[in-house]
This record gives sequence, C-alpha cells and structure tokens, in this order.
Amino acid sequence: MLLVRWKPVLHCPPQGHPRRGFAWPRGPRRSLLLWRPIRSPAPAFLSISSSKFSQAGRARVRPIVRAGLAQTPSLADVENAEILFSETLSLKRSQTVEGKIAVRLDPAGAEEEVSKWRLTIGCNLEGKWTLHWGVSYCDDLGSEWDQPPPEMRPPESVLIKDYAIETPLKRLSSQSERQILHELQIEFDSNTPIAAIHFVLKEEETGAWFQHKGRDFRISFTDYFEVDNSVGGNQGFSIWPGTFDEISSLLLKAEESTSKKDDPDDEDGNVVKQNRCIAPIYKEFPILKEEFVPNHMTVSVRSSDKTDKNIVQFDTDLPGDVVIHWGVCMDDGRKWVIPSTPHPPATKIFRQKALQTLLQPKADGLGSWGLFLVDEGTSGVVFVLKLNEYTWLNNNGTDFFIPIGSVSSTTAEIGSDDIVHEQQAGTETHDVRNSLSPNNSYPLQNKSLEASDPKNINILPMKPQGAQEAKEAVAYTDEIIKEIRHLVTDISSEKGKRAKSKEAQENILQEIEKLAAEAYSIFRISIPCFVESVSDTELMKPAVKLSSGTGSGYEILCQGFNWESHKSGRWYSELRDNTKELSSLGFTVVWLPPPTESVSPEGYMPKDLYNLNSRYGSLEELKDLVNSFHEVGIKVLGDAVLNHRCAHYQNKNGIWNVFGGRLNWDDRAIVADDPHFQGRGNKSSGDNFHAAPNIDHSQDFVRRDLKEWLRWLRKEVGYDGWRLDFVRGFWGGYVKDYMEATEPYFAVGEYWDSLSYTYGDMDHNQDAHRQRIVDWINATNGTAGAFDVTTKGILHSALEKCEYWRLSDQNGKPPGVVGWWASRAVTFIENHDTGSTQGHWRFPSGKEMQGYAYILTHPGTPAVFYDHIFSHYQQEISRLISVRNENKIHCRSTVKITKAERDVYAAEIDGKLAVKIGPGYYEPPNGPTKWVVAAEGRDYKVWETS
Amino acid sequence: MEVGSAVKRAGAAVPEALLPSRSLGFRDSIKARTRTRCVGFQPPASGTWRKRAVRVARKGAVRSEAVLDEKAPPPMKKKEAGPVRLYVGLPLDAVSDCNAVNHGKAIAAGLRALALLGVHGVDLPVFWGVATAGDWTSYLALAAMARDVGLRLRVSLHLHAQRRPRLPLPESVSRAAASNPDLLFSDRSGRRHPDCLSFAVDDLPVLDGKTPMEVYEEFFQSFRFAFSDFFGATIEDITIGLGPNGELRYPSFPPSGSHRFTGVGEFQCYDKYMLADLKRHAMEAGNPFWGHSGPHDAPEYNQSPAFGKFFKENGGSWETAYGQFFLSWYSGKLLSHGDRLLSVASQVFGDLPVALSAKVPLLHWWHKTRSRPSQLTAGFYNTDGRDGYEAVAEIFSSKSCTMIVPGMDLSDRDQPQGVKSSPESLLSQIMRACKKHGVRLAGENYSLVGVGTTAFRRIKENILAENSRLDSFTYHRMGAEFFSPEHWPLFTEFMRSLMQPEMDSDDIPSSGERLSVMDAVPANDREMQTV
Repeated sequence: MLLVRWKPVLHCPPQGHPRRGFAWPRGPRRSLLLWRPIRSPAPAFLSISSSKFSQAGRARVRPIVRAGLAQTPSLADVENAEILFSETLSLKRSQTVEGKIAVRLDPAGAEEEVSKWRLTIGCNLEGKWTLHWGVSYCDDLGSEWDQPPPEMRPPESVLIKDYAIETPLKRLSSQSERQILHELQIEFDSNTPIAAIHFVLKEEETGAWFQHKGRDFRISFTDYFEVDNSVGGNQGFSIWPGTFDEISSLLLKAEESTSKKDDPDDEDGNVVKQNRCIAPIYKEFPILKEEFVPNHMTVSVRSSDKTDKNIVQFDTDLPGDVVIHWGVCMDDGRKWVIPSTPHPPATKIFRQKALQTLLQPKADGLGSWGLFLVDEGTSGVVFVLKLNEYTWLNNNGTDFFIPIGSVSSTTAEIGSDDIVHEQQAGTETHDVRNSLSPNNSYPLQNKSLEASDPKNINILPMKPQGAQEAKEAVAYTDEIIKEIRHLVTDISSEKGKRAKSKEAQENILQEIEKLAAEAYSIFRISIPCFVESVSDTELMKPAVKLSSGTGSGYEILCQGFNWESHKSGRWYSELRDNTKELSSLGFTVVWLPPPTESVSPEGYMPKDLYNLNSRYGSLEELKDLVNSFHEVGIKVLGDAVLNHRCAHYQNKNGIWNVFGGRLNWDDRAIVADDPHFQGRGNKSSGDNFHAAPNIDHSQDFVRRDLKEWLRWLRKEVGYDGWRLDFVRGFWGGYVKDYMEATEPYFAVGEYWDSLSYTYGDMDHNQDAHRQRIVDWINATNGTAGAFDVTTKGILHSALEKCEYWRLSDQNGKPPGVVGWWASRAVTFIENHDTGSTQGHWRFPSGKEMQGYAYILTHPGTPAVFYDHIFSHYQQEISRLISVRNENKIHCRSTVKITKAERDVYAAEIDGKLAVKIGPGYYEPPNGPTKWVVAAEGRDYKVWETS
Repeated sequence: MEVGSAVKRAGAAVPEALLPSRSLGFRDSIKARTRTRCVGFQPPASGTWRKRAVRVARKGAVRSEAVLDEKAPPPMKKKEAGPVRLYVGLPLDAVSDCNAVNHGKAIAAGLRALALLGVHGVDLPVFWGVATAGDWTSYLALAAMARDVGLRLRVSLHLHAQRRPRLPLPESVSRAAASNPDLLFSDRSGRRHPDCLSFAVDDLPVLDGKTPMEVYEEFFQSFRFAFSDFFGATIEDITIGLGPNGELRYPSFPPSGSHRFTGVGEFQCYDKYMLADLKRHAMEAGNPFWGHSGPHDAPEYNQSPAFGKFFKENGGSWETAYGQFFLSWYSGKLLSHGDRLLSVASQVFGDLPVALSAKVPLLHWWHKTRSRPSQLTAGFYNTDGRDGYEAVAEIFSSKSCTMIVPGMDLSDRDQPQGVKSSPESLLSQIMRACKKHGVRLAGENYSLVGVGTTAFRRIKENILAENSRLDSFTYHRMGAEFFSPEHWPLFTEFMRSLMQPEMDSDDIPSSGERLSVMDAVPANDREMQTV
C-alpha cells in the first residue's frame, strides 16, 4: 500500500475519451520502460484520486503522459514474466435463433371420407421436439385438458398423467418447401365430439417450452371459447423453459419476443368455427429458441519483474465487444474496490464501485484480450463479463475471482457479500440460470479456481437496474440472502453427507412458526377500521339511512375565514372576489364562518338561529357567496354551533336561560349540570362549554327543532354540508340523527381535546387521543368526519423538536386519526382558534409547509387555513394540491411509511407519491418505479412516479 | 417470490413429474404412491436449488413481474381424479368497509406461513358494498400479495351485507332500500333483513332504473376488468354469492343477533314484491286465497317446530295441498334466483380460465324430522319424501358450477340434543345429488375448529373418503384465532397429515422438501407487508 502514497493521476472523466487517459508513472523503474514523459497539460486537468496521500506539488513537477494505450504493459513485457496463476474458464453463451412453428389442418381422407382430418404441426428449428397435447370435449366447459381418444393418438405417444399425452415430432428426411425439419401429423375424425386440441411444444435438449401468448395453443372447432387464445389470435409466443431455474433468464427473452411481434395476420385470427365446422387452416408462428454456444476465457496472472505489480491477462474467444466489469479485492477478499489508477485503456468507472474495461480485439478477429495491472497488495481480481446491455456472464451466479500474488490458495469467495455489494453499487443485478452440469454443484465454498476441472460459466441476461438501491433495500436483501444462505448451507451440506432432509424440514417448520406467531401478534392487536356499533334494535328498523359525509373522497377543504374576518362587516362580499382563485387552486370545499346572529362577533355564541344577518354580512350576501362558490364547483360547509346557544332573556331569578326568536325554548332545553344556567333538561351527554347555556340534545323537541333548522339552512342558504362546532359537548349519536336528517355532502366535527403528555413531553403513543375522536365518529355512525387533532399535535412535536420518528405509530401507520380511519379524518395544521390572532395552539412557525407537505400528500381530507392560502406559501400549497390531484390521492389512499427517524420522515402513498419531510436525507428507491421530484421546499420534498 | 410462482405457473404446462405437488396427493397415492409421497418434484439437479436461491436474492432489483403475468399459462386442473386443493379463507374484513386493507402485515406474514406449509391458495372475500365505486386497489393489493408468495386465489364475490365485521351493501343500494324498504327481505312481523335484496326484485328496475341483476352484472364486469391480469394464473376459481351469508338461501335466521341459531327460522316472503308474486302465483294456481300471505301457522325464529301447526311432524300444514303450493313457490323463487344469477356470472366469466362455484348452506338442524323446517324456511324444499337438492344440483350442473358445501367439520355426535340435527346425513344427501348430476363439490368447514381434533378428523374423513368428490377444501378463516397458539398447531398438524398421510422419515427423498423451501423463500415480503 505504500506504493500508493503518491499516485496523482491525470484522469479523464470516465465517460469521456477513455483512450486519452493521462497517467503518472508509479516509479522511475517502470516509467522508463513503459511510458515516455510528455509535458503536462494545464494543471486544471489534474484530478487526484487519492488526495489524502497525494503530493500535488510533486505531481505537477513530473507529469508523464502517454497517449494512446496508456498504462498497458506490453506483451513482450508479459512474456518475460513468471506465470503465477492461469485458468481457462469455459463460458456458455446463449444465442437466439429465430424459427417458426407451422400448424396446418386439412382434410385427410379420400373424397368419400369427408370426416377425416389431419392436423400437422411442424417446426423448422433443430432440436428434439415433442408435442405436449390434449383435447377438450364439447360438453366440457372447463379449461382442463383431456387425453385424446385412443384412435387419435400417434403410435409413439406417451401418456402424461390422465390429461395429456406427449408425442415426438419426426425429423423429415427431405426438407419440404417450407423448410420444415420436424413434423407431426395427427389424424382424427371430425365426428369425434372434440371442441379443441390444445398443445405446447417442448424442446428436449434445452428443456424449453414454447407456448402461445403465455398459454396453450388451441385449435378450436367450436365457437364456444373466446378466440383470443386460440391459434388464430396470433400475437406472440413466449418461451417457457422446462426446468425451473431457467425461467428467470428466459423470461427476458420472452419479453423481447413479445414486443417484437407485429403480426400482419391479426385480423384473420379468428379461426374458431361456428359450431364445429372444421375448415382447413394453415398458420405459422415465429418462435425464438435459445441455443448455447461454448466459449472460453483464459486468465493468467504474472508477476512482472519490471514492476511491482501483477499483470492479469484476459484472453477470450467470445465474439464481439467484451467488457470486463471488474474490481479488486483487498486483504479479506470480499469487498469490491476500484483498482488504483492508472486504469487500462477503454475503461469506465461504473458508479464509483467498479471498472468496465473493453477488451481489445485480437489481430485474427477471433476474440479479444486485455492486460490489467494490479497492485501487489490486492488479494484478487473479481469480475463478471458484459456482452451487451442485457447479457452478462458470471460464475454460476457469483463473481469470478482470480487470486493474485502469494495468496494463491485463495478460494473463490462468493456469496452474499458480493451480491450486496453489487446492489449497493447500483450495478445490474444478475439473473442466475442453471448450470446444466450436474457436478458443478455446491458447496460453493469448495469452488476453488485452482481446481483442475473447468468451471461452467453461465449466461446471465441482466436487467439494468435504473439507479441506486436505497440502503434499506440493501439491508433487506442482505437479510434475505442470509436467510437463503442459511438454508442453502444446510441443504448442501446435507446433500454432501446424504443426510436426511428432516433438518431442512425443521428449518421450514421453524420459519412457519415464526411467521404464524408474527401474524398472530399483529392480528391480535390490530384495531379494526370500523368498530361495529349497530345495536340490535337499530338493525330491526326497517331502513337505516346512510350518508357518509365524506364527499367524493377527493375533497380538499379550505377554511374560508380567520378570527378577524368579521371586522370589515362585509366578509361575504370580500370572499366572493376570491371564489375563482380558490377554485383554481384546487379546493373543492369551503368552510364558511357561523352565519347566525351571535353575541360574539365571530359567530360562535349564537342567539337567534334563524337570524342570518351577522358581522360577516347579510343573508342575501351569504346566499350570493354560496352561489358563487357553487358556480365554480366548490361545495360550501356551514359552521353549525349546536352545543350551546345564548339566551335572549333572563328568568325570574335573573339567569339568562330563556330563548327568544323563532326557537323560543325555555330552560328545559338547557342541560341540568351547569349551575350557571339552571337548566331543567337532562344531564349533558358530553363536556360543558361554560360561557353559554348548553343545549340538551336529549330533548325530542330540541332535536326536532335543530333538524328543522339545519334543513332550513341547507335549503335557504344552499349549504352542502357542515362543520360542527364543539361536538365534544354532546353525544355523537345525536349528530348521526342530524346528519341523517340533513344528508350533508360533507360533514366534519370539531372534537378537540388535549393530547397526552408526560412531564411536559408529548407521549409517542397518542392512541387514546385518537381513540376518543374515532369513538365520536363511530357514535355518529360514520356520518361525519372529524378534524384530526391528533395528527396536528404529533406534527407539532415532530417538527418542533426534530422528532420525526413520532410520525409512525407502533404498527408503522400514521399516528393520527388518519392512520386508523382515514376516510373520516380531516387533517389540518391550523384554524381560526389555534392560529390566526388567537394563537391558542399555533403550528411551529416556519414549518407550516412541512405540515402541508404531510397532510396534502397523505390520505384523509386535508384542510388548508385561509391565512396560509393568502400568504407567501400560496405557490407551494398550490403545487402540493395539484400534485395530490394529479396523482389522484384520496382520503382512503394507502400509506407506506418508508422512514421515520430522528430527522426525517418519508412515506409512499398509493405507490404514486413519495414524500419526505424533515432536514434529514431521503431519496425514494428507484426500483421498478422511477421517481421524479414533483414539489419541494424547505425541509420537504415530494416525488411522483414518472 | 416471482420465481416460485412463475415456476408453478410454468409447471402447469409441464409434465407432472416436474410439478410441485402443492396439491395434496392422497388420491393419487392410491395409484402411484411413490410419486405423491414426496411433496416436491423429483429430479432437479442439485445445482438447481442454489442457483434459484441466488436468483431470488438478487431479484430484489429485477423487474419481471409483468412479463410473468403475461406468460402465465392457465391452470390446468385435473379432472375429478385430481387431488384436493386446500385453500384458507382470508378474513372477511381483509378489506374493510372503508375499502382499505385491514391487518395487511398480519396477512402478509400469514400468507407466507401458509405458502410454506403447502397450502394451495386462499379465498379472498370480496364485498359488493366495499368495491362498489369500482375502486379495486385494496383487493388487488391482497391478490398481488397472495400471488407473490405463490398462492392461488379463489375469489368470493359477495352480494350481501355482513353484520360482523360490518360490511354494508353499496351506498346507493342502501339508499334505495331506505326509500323503499320493500327491496329488502321482510319477515312476518315486518322486520327487514338489511343483508340482502329480496329475490323478488331481481328483475325490477329498482336501483336507479337498473335491475339488481344488471347491477350485479356490472359488478362482475368491473371485477373482471380490474383483475384481468390474475385470471388463470392466480385466480382459479370465482365463487358467486347467491344470497345472504354468501349462500344460496333466504335469510331465514333472525334479523338481529348471530347467524348461529338452532331454531327453525321464518319464511321471508313478506316484502311487497314477494307478496305480489305469491298472489299472482296463487291466482294462476286457481286458489287466490293462498296468495294473501305466507303460512299463518309457522312458528317464530327460535321456537320449536312443534309450535304452530305448519311443521308438525304428522299432519302439519306442510303436507297439505296449501303447504305444497307455498313451499314449491317459495323454493322455486330461490332456485330461479340462483339460476339467473349463475347465468349472469357464467356469461361474464365463462370464457375465462377459471372455474365458477357457489355455496349452498348446510342446514342440518331438524334434519331428522320429517318436515325439516330450517331447510324449508331457507328455501330448500327438502322434506321427507322429497329431495330438494336434486333441483339445486341440476342448476349447478347446467352452469358447470362447483357446489361449495360448508360444514365438513360437523359430525352428528357433536350436535346438541333436541334439535334433531344431522349434518352427516344431510351432507351425504347433497353429495349424492351432486354425484347424480355430475356437479363438482368443494368443501368448507362451518367454523374455525376449536380445541380438540375431532373436527379436523371429520374434515379429513370427508376429504379422504373413497367416494369423496371433493375438488377443493377451504378452511375458514384466517385471523387472530387461526394463528393462536391453541389453534395453529392443530392446523399445521392437519395440513401435514393431509400431505403425507403415512410418511416415514426414511422414505423422504432428499430432494423432497426442497420445493417447499424454495417456494417459500420470501423475496418480496417487504413489499407485501407495506400493503
């Protein structure tokens, strides 16, 4: 390693011009032989690979650059060197051959035997072909096969169970004009009640199966079946391998072949004949067959007496461009490391983890070769071969390992670490296919490259993996690999000793038990989404009206006022100017302030419920406003204060508890348990609001009057639904009653009580809090939602104290109401009470957008506060709303929390959106889904699938 | 886990020797013992396993699912001689009434456990009222979970409402029923059954101008469209819920309380439309007086049959001309409902590579009486001297529909005294009818088997019986109790005893279990769990 001490390097960008690599010599000894000094280019070109040790000043003094084939030891140099290690690897490469299957149905008999028909199936590819086939009878409507009647079976047929037979195709001695090499004829009588003949083709040598569009070929004689899968509907073939291991690799081929298909005969595909009228058919289908071609690669390691490095020589007869994807291993031989520079020519650095070097074509054109220099300190070279974008060769699923230097006894280390490394590196993943050689088996650990028998190397079609795997995925993979390796080790060692498989069975059983226990524990604690609260008496009622009060599920709510809105006295007309803007921002529901005459100007101390002239404006202005909202497609919620009502008159004791106006109730309408107001009603069914007489909803006349009032409001004003004030004050069952009477489009109740704290620190588990809210929703029978106070509270703590882990509950779900009953949760971060000029419980200042990034991406119905809409946050909020709408996130969307740590929280919603909030780092894993940034701001970021 | 499932799907077209015998092989074992003894496939070269393992490991990053689906061959089920496929029912509220996946993580773990255990598939209960807006995401997610661990699916399309867990009818239907309560079944005292629409309105345009049959068909179409990727490869079977509780029957049980009652039940013919139909029918029969109402002398839900005259053992009204008139009309309405609904279903699903099935109830109480009241009130005119199940089997046969019969776990001995129950003889009567009409049979248990193994033994007897025609068996149902330490060991024991009826440890070929290990290697569980 000391040699690395100064190795400043002029290195071109990896993607750039690999042949223009400038390099510094390692030491005088080598430089004399291998490079000639050239003047340095401008220092700006310098890039120093190992800044820690580099001595830049010195580097600039002695720039030595070799144009052309940089850093490659010459062959002459190599020949002088002592061979430390040499190994010839046999490679098996697949090659795709195109061919066709021909199906012909024609009359076979003489003139008088019109019922004799012959089905001919031919194939023009080499191989050992077998037809695996069966029939279905007319009266059988299932998809099962049956064996054909005995008279139909060609002599060489073999019965497969009781539903199919296999018949080999015969090789034709002379090629017919269609170049059919193999053919099989099946004769049958059209009077046999056969509905269809089904078949697939098998090629015995490769074990591959050939099907039609992923299903059986079907020659149908009736019109019973849809034709899309019968032989005529010709869209493609898929290739199915016969042994399980090959599936993975062959699938890719199958996909290719599918995409290739463009059959001109598509229209006349319907060969199905009406009611068993058989007509001649001739059809050809393209197939792709994979064949294996043997190739070799010789790898030799020499120590050069001219350098203190080892020279690794690769020599292969693989045709075409061969790229070696390689790295070196340091002492323990497990981690891939990029070799020290200089690198061979035509080398690219692959994601900072490996090198990709293109081998040079040999002079005779048959193959290619390359020479790499490797430091002496390395214990080995690890590599796989890349033939093209999708084809990789590796060593039976692991990397090739070439031991270097004195550690000649190193065995080929393979296994999970390498795999994990690959994933971290973000390189392609390997599909592994079966080695056809039975002696090439485990235990893997015994596979020394020094063993005399040649290794089988398999073809690996590979899928490029778009981008970096998330660390999480790696950890996960690691876990699985460990699991598998565990099993593999067990089984292979057993195999070796011919041990009984009982142990393996034990392992499975243990795994089963573990899973069952896990399932049990979760089932046991899981909280049902809806707690049944329907009593028997209710069930017996002839009809139960249901109104969910959740709107379309895609609602976005806007709180259309703040604590100061009454000040101007003309809020209704002021807000009217903003209707279009609110609509274009994406809001679908607006919540207007309480409309009634009120003792307090804000409207929350109502007096005469039927007097709708308030500090916000007159009834006419309100109606105009509602109409304007309706015109732009926004539904309007009225703020209904049902808990309390201020009296008009004093009773004879001087207590204000006699109402006037149209609802001239007396003290029987007031709950009995608030001594201030001396009510004569029943005890309150909820908490008391002490500033005004609380209404006793248990009185029939009160409920009747309130229902009538609410219905009047809907009709008179045009409200579409309700925001229900202080619903803690009375039983949710009454709300159900009111909701059923008024059938609101959307309804939400304010059930605000405090979260649980221990020593001033909010508890992680706020289940009791949200349970109270859910209980209330339950009591309303789900006819109204509720503001998700729990989520607001948890967001407070999470954002304020940088405790983002709070945003996942014990079950990995959102910790608020939204995690339990999302469709009934109205999420919000601020309202006229908590914020505005009251500021009873203000959202952490400056972090509002994080809050909105959370609620506007998550399920539940988000509510945005007026003050935030008309602030500098408008652009960002608007963006988030449009992202929500574009991705059709709704109140029942599913959340998958992907991270909940101290400084970052991330989740995926419906698999369509990813969001992170918090200062910490997070990027969604780019697996099969590609994420693109859809919105971002301070400490939050939202991605959508591209 | 795509490899595992791909393998199995590919296997469908592969000769049997290579097939993972997930299906339980005892029937074959009579014929070819050696093959079925080992649960696995014989010849994979020893290299096979390891490479698959690695492939699975790396699979984390390979995207090939879609390809697999396209290429998946249809299931090739064997004919009657095939082995019994064992399914486990998913929780009824696996998708809750708010259309969200419930207990997702638990189900994910549970599915893996089942797959490892060698269960063939799971039964996914789909409720009309939940997926009503055409939003299938949650159900699709569950189906994908099952597919990804290599399990097959039977999907039960339920057109009724469930009380516990609460799964309502679609909102629009509830609304229609609220404004016109006669759409719902009604008993003599006018109590409504909110579970299910009356069979009498099947073809009346009562749901916003559409008939319930049309709406059912739309629901089927919507399902078919949403699950098009799953048919054949994953979904093997679609069960049509023909009435309350997903069974072909009237809701003759009390409108409140559990379905477990041992009384006779009541006739459900008192909604406006049923009564009108009865009246018309009575006119046609030339006896208009019979059409005024249902039997006035039938007992109440939980009363003994001896109460009132109708079901009296000897000389009861059921034996009179009126009784025969009424009962044939009442049972005829049920049969024609079943017939029409199955026709609709087979029109929608007929061309798919899936089997159709439907469930009939096992109304075993009072089976040992002559009048069999609980069957009569549920709509099965099956009395002493009249086989009511032949007609049912005929309908199933004409639609190639598999008949699912629950109660395979019940034995006569364990029934309470005094209700003259005989599940065993009723079961064998149904089986006879099915055999006669060539209807395939599938079994279910009545309830989760409690402590003690008698019930499992009974199930096993039913499955293994020499004359058994069982095509599949569905064990209900996954949940906390299912995985509880009291129950789970019994179930695993049951599974194993089915798979390897008399396996000796020395007989196991060394490659035998490998399959189940491999199939179960959980490559995708993280994804599954997040659902």
